[in-house]
Amino acid sequence: MNAFGLAPLLLIFPAIGVLFNTFAGPRLIRAERKTGEMYAGWFASLMAILAFLVAVMLYFSLRAHDYHAETVRLFDWIVVPSAGFTIPWAIQVDTLSVTMMLVVTGVGSLIHIYAIGYMHGDPGFHRFFAYLNLFLFFMLILVSGSTYLMLFVGWEGVGLCSYLLIGFWFDRVNEQGKVMNADAGRKAFVVNRVGDFAMVLAMILLFWAFGSLDFGAVFGSAVDLFAHGEMVTLFGMEMTVGAVLTAVTILFLLGAAGKSAQIPFYVWLPDAMAGPTPVSALIHAATMVTAGVYLMVRSNVLLEIARQSTLDGVAGASLLGLSGPDWIALTGAATAVLAGLIAFTQFDIKKVLAYSTISQLGFMVAAAGMGAYVAAMFHLITHAFFKALLFLGSGSVIHGMEHGHHHVHEHDHEHDAHHKAEKFDPQDMRTMGGLRHKMPITFAVYMVGTLALAGIFPFAGFWSKDEILAHASTNHGSIFTAVYILLTVAAFCTAFYMGRQIKMIFFGSPRHEAAEQASESAPIMTYPLIILAALSLLGGLLNFPFFTESAYKAAKAAHSFGINLGLEHWLEHSITAFALTEEGIVHMPHTPTWMQVDVALISTILALAALALAVGVVYRKRPQTATERDPLQGTPIWWFAILPFEWFYMHTVVPAFKWSARWLAEVLDGAFWHDFVHDNIIRDLFVGFAKFSANVLDANGVDGLVNGSGRLTHAVGAVLRKTQTGYARNYALGVFLGTVILLAYFIFAS
Amino acid sequence: MLTILTFFPVVGALIILALKLFKKETDLLIKQLAVGFSVATFLLSLLVLAQFDMAVSGLQMVNRAAWIPSWGISYLMGVDGLSILMVLLTTFISMLAIASSWTAITTQVKSYYVFMLLLEAGMLGVFLAQDLFLFYIFWEFTLIPMYFLIGIWGGKNRIYASIKFFLYTMAGSLLMLLAILYMGITNGTFALPDLIAGREAFAAAQNWLFIGFAIAFAIKVPLFPFHSWLPDAHTEAPTAGSIILAGVLLKMGTYGFMRFNLPLFPEASYQFAPTIAVLAIIGIIYGAIVSFAQKDVKKLVAYSSISHLGFVMLGIFALNEAGLQGAILQGVNHGLSTGALFFLVGVIYEQRHTRMMADFGGLWKVMPVFAVTSLIVTLSSMGLPGLNGFVGEFTILLGSMGSTALGTRPWIYTAFATTGVILAAVYLLWMYQNVFMGPLDKEENKKLRDMNGGELAIMLSFLLFIFWIGIAPSAYFLLMDSTVAKLVAHVMAAATVAMP
Repeated sequence: MNAFGLAPLLLIFPAIGVLFNTFAGPRLIRAERKTGEMYAGWFASLMAILAFLVAVMLYFSLRAHDYHAETVRLFDWIVVPSAGFTIPWAIQVDTLSVTMMLVVTGVGSLIHIYAIGYMHGDPGFHRFFAYLNLFLFFMLILVSGSTYLMLFVGWEGVGLCSYLLIGFWFDRVNEQGKVMNADAGRKAFVVNRVGDFAMVLAMILLFWAFGSLDFGAVFGSAVDLFAHGEMVTLFGMEMTVGAVLTAVTILFLLGAAGKSAQIPFYVWLPDAMAGPTPVSALIHAATMVTAGVYLMVRSNVLLEIARQSTLDGVAGASLLGLSGPDWIALTGAATAVLAGLIAFTQFDIKKVLAYSTISQLGFMVAAAGMGAYVAAMFHLITHAFFKALLFLGSGSVIHGMEHGHHHVHEHDHEHDAHHKAEKFDPQDMRTMGGLRHKMPITFAVYMVGTLALAGIFPFAGFWSKDEILAHASTNHGSIFTAVYILLTVAAFCTAFYMGRQIKMIFFGSPRHEAAEQASESAPIMTYPLIILAALSLLGGLLNFPFFTESAYKAAKAAHSFGINLGLEHWLEHSITAFALTEEGIVHMPHTPTWMQVDVALISTILALAALALAVGVVYRKRPQTATERDPLQGTPIWWFAILPFEWFYMHTVVPAFKWSARWLAEVLDGAFWHDFVHDNIIRDLFVGFAKFSANVLDANGVDGLVNGSGRLTHAVGAVLRKTQTGYARNYALGVFLGTVILLAYFIFAS
Repeated sequence: MLTILTFFPVVGALIILALKLFKKETDLLIKQLAVGFSVATFLLSLLVLAQFDMAVSGLQMVNRAAWIPSWGISYLMGVDGLSILMVLLTTFISMLAIASSWTAITTQVKSYYVFMLLLEAGMLGVFLAQDLFLFYIFWEFTLIPMYFLIGIWGGKNRIYASIKFFLYTMAGSLLMLLAILYMGITNGTFALPDLIAGREAFAAAQNWLFIGFAIAFAIKVPLFPFHSWLPDAHTEAPTAGSIILAGVLLKMGTYGFMRFNLPLFPEASYQFAPTIAVLAIIGIIYGAIVSFAQKDVKKLVAYSSISHLGFVMLGIFALNEAGLQGAILQGVNHGLSTGALFFLVGVIYEQRHTRMMADFGGLWKVMPVFAVTSLIVTLSSMGLPGLNGFVGEFTILLGSMGSTALGTRPWIYTAFATTGVILAAVYLLWMYQNVFMGPLDKEENKKLRDMNGGELAIMLSFLLFIFWIGIAPSAYFLLMDSTVAKLVAHVMAAATVAMP
């Protein structure tokens, strides 16, 4: 089977969906709301499903072709022949990109369907689905591009969709009169642009060092030069490959920190929760934010060369003594812990999940930085399942709460409207409680998601998280040890804040009348949840480890791995670092292929302890009312509630920028340059000179030439003094006539 | 061919002037004639494109006639890879600008369109003239119609702005005139190809000559710190005037650098490259930051031009193939994006008679089509990949980091210039949010109508090229590739001889 030729359809289907909902959507919905919504929503979902089917066909094509990567060239994009710069639009079909395609379109399809129910009745229904399809379009460009520049097209494109979808309810205003949704979208875009700044520099550096931006060409050239110990000529100087790639990996880290919400740029993601919940699930949990991880895994060759160069002590190949990948690993691990701690202090159901996402992305980034590329992808996939599940579940909860609130309102309305003025936040976990009886399906799937996220055996998260921890613990070096400790702490945090969350949402008794009246969501929303729950339960099978060393060795000897390590054997065809390690060019850190029982036991015990601590101790009987203080409030844990980086930006960078913009515009450009220098100094000097020449020189009877110029400047001076009169026009007319006469003179003179 | 193209709009202007003789003068007929002639000129320029051979690096379709032989002045017109896109941009933008004035201009309709057509002819002359004297006449000539367009049909501060525009650019070109005369007299010819061949004669004075040209062009671009006339002129000019000013007139400055400074004074260009690149980068950052502080949308767009043109200047003085080609394309891109932005500001100004961001908010609700098209143009101006701005910007930045003219650490230039990418998002999204997002809380805004058919047609013309250049720009690069390659080789050969 060969379906590689179908690859362009992957992009064409979502593009059709965008056009459909842009042009036909408004009309359909205006004609008949209910059927219009059905057409708009299902058409968009169908496009997502069709894209998924294309991805499935590409999967089988790869299997049939012995996993050989295939590039489908579409047409030229940027071609500057004399500069040797050629970038085509081309789709690279390899096991890594197909993995991403399957996740994006698969989870994407489920979320599209869910959103038909969730967005029901929204005035911007068709706009929402146009954006969702546009997002799929750009995300597929991102994961399928065969060059860094095409990846970047998707990279910025998904950023745009994120901006549009966060600000989807662009007219919403909070109590302080702030346009909060639009602000949140703008913040996301601008912070991401800071990361993109680094991406642009990294790409340009790669081009001048290796003469291409094509993945294969860049990697090939880097490996060649590195293996032969040759230098790169850059800026007219000789440089080591290691030095260049250290710079590139650090720049990639900055780029990924923007897109994948790592320290120091994670601040946009919590605000991004202002968007509709399906968006949070699709873009801000399952797919877009993992782009940074994909970038790292895609660049595995570059990361490994950078790591090896540092180990070999190559000149210039380190930053403060650490290699580029070390920085990536540490950044990820630190983010995992910090975000995990901040999640303790959140009351908004989605904000907890947002910080959880930042923390889990930290796991993935750390894994990629440690060279555990398969584990990073494994966690990316399982996280897509269970975090999409949790977000959609939280959407179901919010929906239920809103429903309950409406119910109360209608009820009130019949008697008296004294509750009208009450402000109600359907996302505040303090107003929830006891929802397990009201929303049994949501509760059941949410529990699956929670256990998967907390890393409890045998749910998906257990396997993928454990692989990362096992990798960190079995490799030697202080970086690995530090990352192992940080990630273990982060895993403990994860279980704790999730325990706190389910306790506050589902257990105890309702703390608000809306929670009392909450009801289960419609089947169109719960079915996707059930599918995702099944995936969160079984996702571990994707890369099931061997249980013992001897089992692994036996399977290896027999060349038959069965179901075990499926993802690793699938991905190793596109993660070239495996092959390079075998050739001895680099020494990629090895991920254990059988279970590390000690690591698994420690993390499981910690997770169970944290769950028990949250559910059974700290929040055992609390909160009782919606206004009660959190038991942790006042403890050092709560210090993280002030959001260290957020505070820093809002109190230093933003005001400084605004102040400097005002100062530059009003004082330097306006008062000084425009008014003073031009209108006073230059004009007055000119006028003064004109007066001088007219009165002094003219009066003293100098020769005709000076005379003439004196008169001219006099005229100019007069014009300048009388700028508000019609005199100026006459002067310009004079110049015009002068030009004409001059022209006529030359024409006839010849 | 080129002569016909250049003077074709003049014919239109003359016919409009002659209407009175036949007692047929009505505003409608004038408008129809003006639009007709601008469309015809655009089609003529496409004909030029059809005859253009992109494999040839030198001048093509040359018209040469002796004019004032005793002074060495000739009538010399020609087109090459540096100018072909500028010519097309001129005819395209002029056509849209003239069409966009249909309802906006109600007073002195006849003179307005006459000036517009004369302006178009002048700009075409600037891009096609290959004799310095001829060039200078066209260059100065463009000032006159623009002066009247701002001065008569402009905003309330129009007289001040128009005089400032006129004197500022006039003063700048005086030094250029001196430089032209000096070269013409030492060589006995004003024809550019001859001067380039005989540049030994004035090589000793080339630093001064470079400065003479550079100041004239830098004011036009405008390069920081010569930008002060631009916000005044832009805010006061009528919509079509702003479109042409941003779309074409500013490109005369960047074109001048490429056409004259680089080939005539290669050693000086190489030597001054870091200085000009630094000014360009200051312009990128300064223009972007000052944009952010503006309350008037049109002024914001005007300052953003300073930032965008900074990229173009950086590309030119990277003095390599990628930089220069990126610069030419970015000139076109800026013409499209900023021209479209000014047009959009005009659309809303016609209805609301205000351009203050504070007077708007939530317009998406009443004008969804306008909002979406504005979003695309805003994103194009921000350099979103897939739209035109990115292609130019990235190629320029690529060129700047590979530049040998910028010393041993060109990446520092690139890094600073790239911050413009962040700042563009800051000020453009700020503008977009203030106008289109937020609650629709002003009564006057609730009754606004969305774009009409004519406005949409103009907008779609802009969008066509915004997408085309964004997605498949290779044809555009191929048009200029051989000319630019030759120019770079010329500059580099001279510079390496001078500075081993």
